[in-house]
Amino acid sequence: MNQLEAIIDKEKGTFYSQRNKDLFSFYTLTLINQEQTSRKLNRNLCLFLLFSMGSLFFLFSPINEMVKYFIVYLSDLTTVDIFILATFSYGFLFVLIALFRKQGRL
Amino acid sequence: METDEGLVKKTLTDGNHHYGILIQRYADYLFGLGMRLTSGNRELAEDISQQSFLKSYTYLKSFDTQKEFKHWLTGIAINCYKDLIQKENQRLPIDVIDEPVYKSNLEGNIDFFNLIKPLAEDEKIIFTLKYVYEYQINEIANLLNLKPGTVKSKISRTLDKLK
Repeated sequence: MNQLEAIIDKEKGTFYSQRNKDLFSFYTLTLINQEQTSRKLNRNLCLFLLFSMGSLFFLFSPINEMVKYFIVYLSDLTTVDIFILATFSYGFLFVLIALFRKQGRL
Repeated sequence: METDEGLVKKTLTDGNHHYGILIQRYADYLFGLGMRLTSGNRELAEDISQQSFLKSYTYLKSFDTQKEFKHWLTGIAINCYKDLIQKENQRLPIDVIDEPVYKSNLEGNIDFFNLIKPLAEDEKIIFTLKYVYEYQINEIANLLNLKPGTVKSKISRTLDKLK
């Protein structure tokens, strides 16, 4: 039993140290960042896929009716309508660009 | 000096550069635990400490700041060690499964490594936590999700083996 205690006491006094703690810390943080980025990318990809599927479903299911409606709508268009449509489209585009710039994606 | 709990909160709110301080603080502790559990295998010990930090970061939101960070980290390190052992054992061919798993790069107190060599993995963990790190029975039971009675009986069985 004394021998056991002596071994344990010796072990308690033994200090183990990483080869290079700074490098270890840096590398571990890099791995953490990498994992976080990959998780974020996966999440964005999933959202994009979901959004695309939703859009495709929305576009393709009532496509005939929508095409008919669009053709009728186009034939009734006046210059004022075209101007309003263009204003809305460009406005929406500018809002999107502003949003992306704010988020730092552009 | 900033407390562990404070650094955890800052990591969750401010970003992971605060976590670097926690890594620096506990790198040697986890490495030492890994060295003891793997009987002095430096590479495996480094793997265990790194995996523990990665896992602990992933589950940082679930950390209860009322508890001690070091204990929580120890629990994660033990789980990483068990996972690693399982993987190592799966890699070994059946005919060498009885051979000692770790024999290269042995460093440190060889007497201690030889002492715990015949023990089963959970006995090694309990023995090291109890006698080297001086954890209480209840703390070990909490870390390993065991009943205190089970830990006690495992300790007495381990001591019988070592006598």
